[in-house]
Amino acid sequence: MDNFINNLLFTYLPHISMTLFWFGVITRIVKSPQSLQAESSQFLSKKGQRWGGNLFHYGILMVFIGHFTGLFTPENLYHMMMTTATKRALAITMGSIFGVSAFAGILILLIRRLKNKRLRLNSKPQDILLIVLLLVEIGLGIVSIFITAGSSIESYAELGIWAQKVITFQPDAGAVIAGHSLIYKLHIVIGLFIFMIFPYTKLMHMLVMPVAYFFRSGYQLVRRGFTKRST
Amino acid sequence: MKIQAQIAMVLNLDKCIGCHTCSVTCKNVWTTRKGVEYAWFNNVETKPGTGYPTDWENQEKWKGGWMLDKSKLRPLMGSKTGIMKNIFSNPHMPQIDDYYEPFTFNYSILHSSAKFVTPPSARPHSMITGLPMEKIEKGPNWEDNLGGAFEERSKEKNFEDVDKQIYSKFENAFMMYLPRLCEHCLNPSCVAACPSGAIYKREDDGIVLIDQDRCRGWRQCVSACPYKKIYFNWKTKRSEKCTLCYPKIENGEPTICSETCVGRIRYIGVMLYDAEKIKESASTENPVDLYQSHLDIFLDPNDPEIAKEARKQGIPDNFITAAQNSPVYKMAVDWKVAFPLHPEYRTLPMVWYTPPLSPIQEEVESGKLGFNGIIPDVDMLRIPIKYLANMFTAGDEKPIKEALVKMLAMRAFMRNKTVEDNVDEKVLQGTGLTPEMVEEMYRYMAIANYEDRFVIPVSHKEYAFDVFGDKAECGFSDGEGCGSMKSRLKNLFGGM
Repeated sequence: MDNFINNLLFTYLPHISMTLFWFGVITRIVKSPQSLQAESSQFLSKKGQRWGGNLFHYGILMVFIGHFTGLFTPENLYHMMMTTATKRALAITMGSIFGVSAFAGILILLIRRLKNKRLRLNSKPQDILLIVLLLVEIGLGIVSIFITAGSSIESYAELGIWAQKVITFQPDAGAVIAGHSLIYKLHIVIGLFIFMIFPYTKLMHMLVMPVAYFFRSGYQLVRRGFTKRST
Repeated sequence: MKIQAQIAMVLNLDKCIGCHTCSVTCKNVWTTRKGVEYAWFNNVETKPGTGYPTDWENQEKWKGGWMLDKSKLRPLMGSKTGIMKNIFSNPHMPQIDDYYEPFTFNYSILHSSAKFVTPPSARPHSMITGLPMEKIEKGPNWEDNLGGAFEERSKEKNFEDVDKQIYSKFENAFMMYLPRLCEHCLNPSCVAACPSGAIYKREDDGIVLIDQDRCRGWRQCVSACPYKKIYFNWKTKRSEKCTLCYPKIENGEPTICSETCVGRIRYIGVMLYDAEKIKESASTENPVDLYQSHLDIFLDPNDPEIAKEARKQGIPDNFITAAQNSPVYKMAVDWKVAFPLHPEYRTLPMVWYTPPLSPIQEEVESGKLGFNGIIPDVDMLRIPIKYLANMFTAGDEKPIKEALVKMLAMRAFMRNKTVEDNVDEKVLQGTGLTPEMVEEMYRYMAIANYEDRFVIPVSHKEYAFDVFGDKAECGFSDGEGCGSMKSRLKNLFGGM
């Protein structure tokens, strides 16, 4: 790949996209926190939603955790627990299980959204765009598992090195993966694109995951009213 | 003891004529928007029938309400972990077809149609897709006045332990109306199941509300409410519910459903209760005892000690006075003629019902007389006592019988008095009523003057903390934020 384009996409684009991501996330949370919500379509049609919704969400959650820890744990740190080869084997097994689960899920969700008239007619452009984007992204991710399995350990380790160079603002980050397969590169570019549009879509519902529920004392909630109470 | 006040309601089913005025006025005020066309915060259904949404009383299916898990109270849907694991897909949630697909008719065709030999007809169109519908399969009151086959209608839960086959015969048919709205429970399971913490109970008046700014659309409340009185707005993708018309209640006015009830069947009043007893009461082991344990939470506002303590704890004077004159307290506690709807759900509902009397079966008239020689045996009423008991007391027939006897005795006593001009205390024997009580019951239940039905204290908004923070806000906006839904969607941050 041309050196300039490679640099643009894998050294600078990550920063551009993360800047847009954080700008969008922060402004949206500050300006209209009430607009953050899950946009469930289960009420209009249950069919396929149970399998699709669960497979996709649980799969993608695990995939996300895998990417985050896998890419950003420095070599010295994970070498205390495992070799790079073990880490790759772990990534390949976990990645295939949860990646395929997420892929199957989103495929069911896409079919459901297009086949069911109620859903299709009430879908916003973003509903379909996001499903297609995620479908392609997860599909590329699954294909890249085969490439990882078939290439050298060094080439696998370089993915982590690239990610860590990016977040530590090293200008030679892009060069690390210059020779890697086009599949990885597409996976990265589409992934960065999803990050860029994230704040302006319903994907924001991830950030309001109701973990506080577990910390509520008991089940009930009472809000203070108008009157002054002594207790 | 932690004294709290609650605005509660009683519906006198004995006088409900099923005219749906309550439903229609409620609809016109609250749910004429896109996304909630199908929603009726107040609906009236004919019983026996499966109701709206279909089979709502079947908690094996919907998992609404609470259960005792090793004598610990938890939502029937599951503990917090159980609820959270279903957040991506709620297996117990009804879908729109369980209510009905909202429809309209394309009336414009009637005057824009080209000339044909046969006149044009307005066909039904779905309000969800806009497409024509072949056939309307369901509506908000599909079983109106016993519409539909008995086999279908009798699948409802209240027929448990009732030999229902004899009621399939035309001569034995019975019916009653059941208007339903949010119960504004003392132990609401919708609040408990909301992971976002958007649903809450107000401290002042006990109204249960959904904070539209904090609802994230996780939709657990829809299935958690055993009365199916939380509606999912499929357009905004958030939940909505009956607000007990809080803007009116705060001003001391009755809700729109009560205000417009032509049969004067609705009563609104304040109940004082001990908030510390809620958990214990809802955890009562045997469902049959839940009615009594619910009664035990209520405090007597006419007891000077209670009134003093309430004042000490900060309950405003006008709430205490209202509680002392509360028609709800009289009917639920003094006379015991009102009952909670399905106490076995353990939510401690605060909309109570007076069971309906029904025509006496023919056998009685042909010789078989009940006790007293004046009041017929309540077992001879057309609506089986067990059926009513399954609805209002978790199957315990005794309190229902006593209430019906009181109502029959009131009728006989007042008939004697006004028609025969003869005060006959004999009819009151064994009912636990005194002539004074009967006169008062008659005033409240038969005459039902506006001032007697609605005793609602004005809220103390002057004490509201930081009202200046709310200045220049858009006020009440149907939960769609300032401006319409459309303008919000166009907002850069509101989505694409």
